[in-house]
This record gives sequence, C-alpha cells and structure tokens, in this order.
Amino acid sequence: MWGGDEGINSYIDDYVAPRLEESYNVELNRVAMDTAEFIRQLSLDKKADRQVGTIDAVWINGDNFRNAKEAGLLRDGLMERVPNAELLNETAQQSDAGTPTEDLELAWGNVQFIMHYDASKVDNPPQSFEELRRWTEDNPGRFTYPEVTDFTGNAFVRHLLYERYGDELDQKATIEDSFWDDLKAWSPNLWKDGQTYPKTLEQLDQLYASGEVWMTMGFNERRAEAEVTEGIFPRETRALVLDHSIASTHFLAVPFNAPNPDGALVLLQELLSPEAQLVKQGPEYWGDGTSLDLTKLDVNDQRAFEELGEGVTYPDSEQLLERSIPDYGPNVIDTVREEWPRVAK
Amino acid sequence: MLRSSVAVTIMVSLLPLTALVFLAIESMGMDWGSLLTNETWRDSFVTTIYVVSVSTGLSLVIGTWLARTVVQKGWRFLSSVLRLPMFVPHIAAAYLFWLLFTGMNGIGWIEANERNYVTVILTYIWKETPFVFLMMLGTYEQLNRGYVEMAKTLQLSPFDQFKHGELPFLMKPLLDSAWILIAFISFAYEIPALLGVTYPKLIGVLAYERLSTGLYLEATEPYAVALVWTCLVGIGVFLSYVLTASIRRRIERGVRR
Repeated sequence: MWGGDEGINSYIDDYVAPRLEESYNVELNRVAMDTAEFIRQLSLDKKADRQVGTIDAVWINGDNFRNAKEAGLLRDGLMERVPNAELLNETAQQSDAGTPTEDLELAWGNVQFIMHYDASKVDNPPQSFEELRRWTEDNPGRFTYPEVTDFTGNAFVRHLLYERYGDELDQKATIEDSFWDDLKAWSPNLWKDGQTYPKTLEQLDQLYASGEVWMTMGFNERRAEAEVTEGIFPRETRALVLDHSIASTHFLAVPFNAPNPDGALVLLQELLSPEAQLVKQGPEYWGDGTSLDLTKLDVNDQRAFEELGEGVTYPDSEQLLERSIPDYGPNVIDTVREEWPRVAK
Repeated sequence: MLRSSVAVTIMVSLLPLTALVFLAIESMGMDWGSLLTNETWRDSFVTTIYVVSVSTGLSLVIGTWLARTVVQKGWRFLSSVLRLPMFVPHIAAAYLFWLLFTGMNGIGWIEANERNYVTVILTYIWKETPFVFLMMLGTYEQLNRGYVEMAKTLQLSPFDQFKHGELPFLMKPLLDSAWILIAFISFAYEIPALLGVTYPKLIGVLAYERLSTGLYLEATEPYAVALVWTCLVGIGVFLSYVLTASIRRRIERGVRR
C-alpha cells in the first residue's frame, strides 16, 4: 500500500495489526509501496506465470484499479466471502472512478478533495479557483501543486478541468490547447516560479509544514487534524473548499497470486468492521471517511459515528457535500498525464 | 578454488550480456525514430549528457589534483579526511545538499531544484571526488619521479612537465574512473530525483517514472532508452581503450622494465 502518510501507517501498524494477531492469529506486514509499482510487480508476476506471489492484499483505486482489472491481476468473488461487505454503502461499492468494480475490490473509505491553508499567513483565503489564481498573483511563490504523475497533483488539475468543462469532458475527452496555455501562464506565480513542481504530495506537505508554501491539498477532508495535533502542520491550519471537490472512494483487493488469500479475506473482514471503520474515521490516526452505510449498522454503532464530532481543520460538512462532484474516468487522468508536461517545460 | 573463481568470472561477465538481451527483448516493437523526435526524451538526453560530463570532468580534475598535492606535500592527514564523503550513502548526500540549498535555511545564491542542475552536479562532485582521489593516490605514490625531473631539467613549462612526466601514467586509472563515474551517474535516481526539476528530468528519473506510472505500464520506451544508453557507454568504453591501447602498453612495459 501507499506509505506516504504517518497517520495511515500507524493506523495499520498500531491498531489493525495487533487486533488481527490477537483475534485471528494472522500476522500483518505492511509494505510501503507506490500503487503503480505493485501493479507493475503483479503484472510482471502474471507475465512470468508466477502463481504464488508475495502480496496478499492491496489498497487500490482509480486508474490503477482499471489497469489491474484489464490485466486480470485481482481475485473476484469478494462480496460473498467477506461477510462485512454486506454493510457497505452500495453506491460507493458500485464503481471506482467510472470503472465498475465487478466484485474485484471492496470499498474501504470515502473521501473528498480539499485544500488546507495556514490562517496565520493567509488573511483572506480564496473562495474559488479563479480567486486562487488571483491570490497567487499577490502572493507569488506561496502556492504549488504536485506533478501530475502524483495522484493528488493529477486530481488538482482535474478540478481545474471541471471548472472549465464541467462533466462534458467524460464524453469527448479532448482538452483544448488554451487550457494548457492558461495553466502555463499561471506557473510564474507558483513556487520556484513554476520552474519545478513537488514530485509527490509528501513533498508538498513538507513544503507546507516548513512554511515555504502556505497551502496544501489532498484527498480526505480530515487529513490535517492529526498533523496539526502532532505539531507537523502549522497550528493555524484551516480547511478550504473551493468551487467543487472530487469525491473519491478507495478500495481493498486481493491479487490473483496472493500467497495467503484466506488471511487476506480475514484482513478485509476486519478492516470493514464497524469498530475498525470508526477508529479509522476518528482523528487519532487517519480521519478517513467510512465506506459503510450507516443505516445498515445497529443503533450503538450509528451513535458512535455521530459522536465523532468535528475537528478544527475539518471543513463545513454540508458545504463540502453540496460541492461534491464525481471523478472523471481514467481516460482523463491519462490525458492529463500525457499533456501536462508542456506546462512544466 | 581456481574452478570456482573461473565460474564466478564467467557469471559476472555473462550478466551484462543477459541484461542486454533482456533489454533488447523488452524493447521489441519499439518505434526507434520516435525516441529521437520525442522532445521529452531528447531534452532529458541532452541534460543528462551535460550533467554527466560536467560532474565527471570536474571530479576527475579535482580528485587528481588532490591526490597529486597530498603525495607531493606529504599531507597524510588529508587523505583520511577526504575519504569521508565516500561513506555517506547517495540518498543521504542528496538530502544533505537539499537541506543546504533549499528555502530559508539554505545558502542563498544557489537553489536546489533549478534547471541548470547545479546542486546535482555539486553533490556528485562531493561524492565522487574522493573515489577519484583514492584511485589516483595509488598511482601517484608509485609514480616514477624521474620523468618529471627530466622534464624539469629540459626546462619545460609546468604544464608540459605534467603532460609528459605524469599524464601518460595517469591514463589508465583516469579512464577507469571516468567510465565508472559516467555509467553510474548517467542512470542514477536518488540525487536527480530529489534535487532535479520537473522538466527536463535526467534520463534515469524519466525512465523510472515511465516504468512505474500506470499510463506507461506496457511501455517499451524506458527499456529502449536503457538499451541505447548502455550501448553508447559500451561503445565509448571500447573506443577509448582501443585508442589508448598503444600508449598504455608502452607505459606498462616501461614501468615493468
């Protein structure tokens, strides 16, 4: 799984792994790896016809899922084998950024794209992408976004696309040159005059933590809470919801050549349990929205979720819901990857 | 003992060949012309050649000069200090230089992550100079001073003294070090990934990115580029050794006598 967030890593290592060991005597080893990288590993396994691989379960979504699905890298039949899958939110479970899940993966969490800013430095935070552009004119060098090979950087550009094209783009998937020209014209006002961009979200977060840039971004509206509590992000970090925000579901899957597929199913069952989902959504580790349908839970569990409350870095949840948009399909992600480099030139 | 060392030698020398065959198979179906016309690869190629030649060139000059000075002046203590950077892993060196040249804590006049790759070159020089130094130190310690003395007697200029009295003996270790550095720097990842820029990327970083992002899963390009680069370096090594063969042989014989 992706290992770029301390909170997420410690949720797995300090909460999930001990529980799994205790209740089922299953040992969980988390391996930090970029998603595209293990997909590559699995496709090499497939090519070499390696029937017993090295990975039991993966965290996956979006274009990586589409690639894995097309290459036949995942096991199906998860719904009937993992009892807690019954509790899943059906809309979230149905499709992964436009690709039907077809029982190859189970929804693990629901998040929305959001920006965070340092309120001690930014007095009048922008309210829209247009205002953000103007804000960078007044504050050159204080904003940037990750390269589009990064999951988050690509999503940021997709938000700008949505600003111009709305949901039209899914049908025609051609982006006019003028869009890229505008983006290029913007770059001199970004960090390092747009000469370079952070390679990953972690690098952007680092720049934000050190005060070099004044805004950061990412999927998961609750992601900054733990960082602020631990003193990594500035104390005055606040949420910023612009015109619209992509809602995204992320999933769990089992590779075709998992050496211990039964262990993987036990892990999935545990990760989708109301208790584990509750701790995941809480501020202590991760703050990741649950993928369960709360109406399917019993009253006590429902109440526990409601009592989680709000953090200071959380956005207004109604506003966030109002501005939520579905993600474009993998085609748009690919197109952005292919065409964006001209902006960085 | 003998048989096992022969086996190891055969395996070691077969490995690069296997790698070449593997690269060739993976890059089958490649449209080779498109590599040349693709601007991203081309820019990356040019920048890589620039970074590699400047870092290798300067490391060789500085390393040789240091070895020469240490031996001539007898500054033994320097040689242990100079070795220190060799024990720092490349990734740590990259991070060190990133910290030194970034943002508010940084030294102001050079910035990391800029398009001239100055900090990348500096990091390589810092890391590789000690290696060159070590290679040259042995040579200088065994150098027959007689030739320099003779050049002095003939009243040659200091540069000509060096050219005729020292350089011929340095040829072999210099060539060895140069190709080791070139092969290493040209496809390295950590340092240019941390200190480089989004565009143009050095070839190792670009190839890895193309290999590991979803879009390019089935790409033959990175393999083809690796193949081309390996062949170029291979041809370079071959040519440089062939062209200097006669002079090196003469010197080896002379030294032995």
